[in-house]
Amino acid sequence: MTCPYLSYRTSADSESFDEARAYCGAAERFVQPMRADICNDRFELDHAEDCGIYVEHASDDPDVSDPAVSTTAGGDS
Amino acid sequence: MSYERFLADDPVVVTAALTGGIHGKEANPNLPETPEEIGKAAAAAEEAGAAIVHVHARTDNGERAFSTARFQEIDDAIRRYADDVVIQHTTGATAAPTEKRHRSLRTDPPPEMASLDMGPLNRYDRLTSENTIATIDALYDEMADRGIKPEMEVFNDGHLNEVHGLLDRRDLGDLPYATLIFGPGTLTRPRPRNLLNAVDNLPEGALFNTLGFGRHQLPFATMGILLGGNVRVGLEDNVYYRQGELAESNAQLVERVVRVADELGREVVTPDQARDVLGL
Repeated sequence: MTCPYLSYRTSADSESFDEARAYCGAAERFVQPMRADICNDRFELDHAEDCGIYVEHASDDPDVSDPAVSTTAGGDS
Repeated sequence: MSYERFLADDPVVVTAALTGGIHGKEANPNLPETPEEIGKAAAAAEEAGAAIVHVHARTDNGERAFSTARFQEIDDAIRRYADDVVIQHTTGATAAPTEKRHRSLRTDPPPEMASLDMGPLNRYDRLTSENTIATIDALYDEMADRGIKPEMEVFNDGHLNEVHGLLDRRDLGDLPYATLIFGPGTLTRPRPRNLLNAVDNLPEGALFNTLGFGRHQLPFATMGILLGGNVRVGLEDNVYYRQGELAESNAQLVERVVRVADELGREVVTPDQARDVLGL
C-alpha cells in the first residue's frame, strides 16, 4: 500500500511537468524521485517506517491515523 | 605524489554526472531524465570538455530505474548524439535489492566504466545505502568479467580502508581509480585539509577524481586540479551555477571547470586520451 499522502500530479503551485510526478500532500511539494520509492513502498521500503515526513505528520492527522486508511494497520510496521 | 602530476603537466579527465538518482527536475528543470535528454546532455558535455559521462537510469517521470533495457536505451541515445564519450554506469541503488545493481553492467556493449560505492552511507533520516564488502566484491567481479573499469566511490575516510581492502582481495591492475567525495551527512566534511588527507591515504599509484557536492563542487574541483587529480561536475551533484542561480545545463558546469583547468595549465583530455590515462 502506498503512502496516503502520495499523489501523482503534473502541476502544483508554480511548478509543472510533462509527466505526472510524485507529490507529497503532507510536505505540500513534489518529492525527490528517490523519495518516491519510499512513498510507493517499493522494494522492501515502508513509508510508515522509512519516511520522516510521514512519521511527523501521521500522528497529528486523524485521517491518516484512522485504521481504515492507515498503512500501519495490522501492526506489521 | 599527486602534486607531482600537476607539476608534470599531466592532463585532467573531466567526468560529467548528468542526472543521478536522487533529485530530479523538481530541483532543477534543466536536469536530463529521459534517454533522449540524457543523450543530448552527454553530447553537450562532451563538446564542453567532458571525457566521461556518469549515468543513472530513470523512468519518464524521473523515478529510479534499474533495468538493463533502460540503460541500453540511454547508451543508445548517448551514442546517437555524442561523438566518442566514455560511458560510466552507476551501480548505486539505495534500498534496492543487490541483484538490481548488477543490471547496469549487462548492456551490449557493456559500459567502459561503472561506479563502485565503497561502503555504507546514510540517506535522508531513515535509510542507509549498505554497500557491504560482499556486495562490493560481487559487483567488482562482474565488472572484471565484462572488462568494465571500476570507479571506486569514496564517500568518507573509512571507505579508503575499503579501497585498500579491495586491492588486497582483487587485482585491479596498475591504475586503480577512486573518486574522493566531500559533502554533508556521512560524507567526508568538505574541508581542504580533508582532501589532502584523503589523497595522502590513497594506495600507491592510484589515480583520483575529486567530487564536492553542492556549493563545494567548484572549489573541490579546483583543488583537485591543483593536486594532480581529475574532476567530476554535473547536475547529479550540484544543481546551481552559483548561489541562488540554477545551472542551465551540465555543459555549463563542465565549461567552467575546463576554464579553471586551462588557467591552471592542465590540459583537459579527449575521451580517447582519457582511455589511455585511465587504462581502459
